[in-house]
Amino acid sequence: MSIEKIQIITKENISVQQLFEAPLKFTSMNGETGWNNLIVDGNIHRPQLALAGFTELFTSQRVQMLGNTEMYYLKSLDLEARMTAFINIADRNVPCLILTNNHELQPELLNIANEHNISVLQTPFETTKAIHMVSEYLDDQFAQQGVIHGSFVDVYGVGVLFVGRSGIGKSEIALDLVERGHRLVADDVVMLTKKRDTVLMGTGTSLVKHFMEIRGLGIIDVRQMFGIRAIRFQKRLEILVELEDWDPTKEYDRTGLDESPRSVMGVEVSAVKLPIFPGKNITVISEVIALNYLLRTYGYNAPKEFANKLREEIERRAKNTSSAVDQRIVSYFQSDQE
Amino acid sequence: MIETDITVVNRAGVHTRPAAMIVKLAAQFKSDIYLTGDNQLRINAKSIIGVMTLAAAQGTILHLTVSGEDETAAVDKLSELFASGFGEHL
Repeated sequence: MSIEKIQIITKENISVQQLFEAPLKFTSMNGETGWNNLIVDGNIHRPQLALAGFTELFTSQRVQMLGNTEMYYLKSLDLEARMTAFINIADRNVPCLILTNNHELQPELLNIANEHNISVLQTPFETTKAIHMVSEYLDDQFAQQGVIHGSFVDVYGVGVLFVGRSGIGKSEIALDLVERGHRLVADDVVMLTKKRDTVLMGTGTSLVKHFMEIRGLGIIDVRQMFGIRAIRFQKRLEILVELEDWDPTKEYDRTGLDESPRSVMGVEVSAVKLPIFPGKNITVISEVIALNYLLRTYGYNAPKEFANKLREEIERRAKNTSSAVDQRIVSYFQSDQE
Repeated sequence: MIETDITVVNRAGVHTRPAAMIVKLAAQFKSDIYLTGDNQLRINAKSIIGVMTLAAAQGTILHLTVSGEDETAAVDKLSELFASGFGEHL
């Protein structure tokens, strides 16, 4: 599948029950009340002004988070005023309330929440931390997801995704890399999730996990066969390797000076086009691609270094007219015969 | 490009054996062939792992997208295969 044709899936909503089941240490104060309410907005709101009576711009469709300020404000009111203040927010189709610092809702307020079918969740975390954690969770849930046909492997800690036509040997390369101690993330069906517009995280599907099809053999389970060190569940996508049949009429990159990143779901990813022909060891080349990427990340760019050396040499020769310039790395082999 | 909906009619759904039949048939065509399941995943019909990912039960409607030089033949043959219930109990 070509990179332009990635189908993008975005969730429109998640249920309160899904949020409750997130690993954020929630306890429910009113059982399963309001668990089917839908959260449609990834943002969080602290309903301070709404409690105080200003409800005009109240973003009630958001998850409402009640921390110290809200809870002590409610506590400071007498019973009737407290119920009026709480109805201000309860009356507007709020999906759920989150109480931070293990705050508890007064029984009369909990009744109101039940009447309005609003889930009330409690978390031991303090408000700032809870906001951070819940919005990270919601961001992930509402993130763009894409499905791509390819093999995704962690090579020396670099996430390398192999794509190319069906039958070109993506799975075989992944298997070969696993044999050499690298780790398989997903084969055939790779799910990509966009994080904060700049990062793509890849993982397999829950059904397939680390099963893989090898032509002529059938289906194998990489985790069972090679053990836990041969797999991982998620990896950031860093390099896209596009495998294609060797085409003698086509020009391939010879210097590596032009880095040509590809846009995958709107995120720039380093890309390499790799022509395939018999006798070419793609596995070793893949390792070199990953190492080269690491070198570049850590500030060493081999093509640039070579180009600089060449430029210096040309300048030196232009100045120095003496003809006898030694081309060897070692200028004089003493008596070393090794 | 041709797009059409096809229904899984056999009782057992698209389990391993039918998946293999679909992939074998799809691989005979040059066209790009994709199937979209009710879990919204669009997968390459030439990948057995992909087709099995659909986990399509009886009654599931799959969306078939084919594009390429032999797209008409591919759609016909694949529709036929699904309609036949993969030679299994309907």
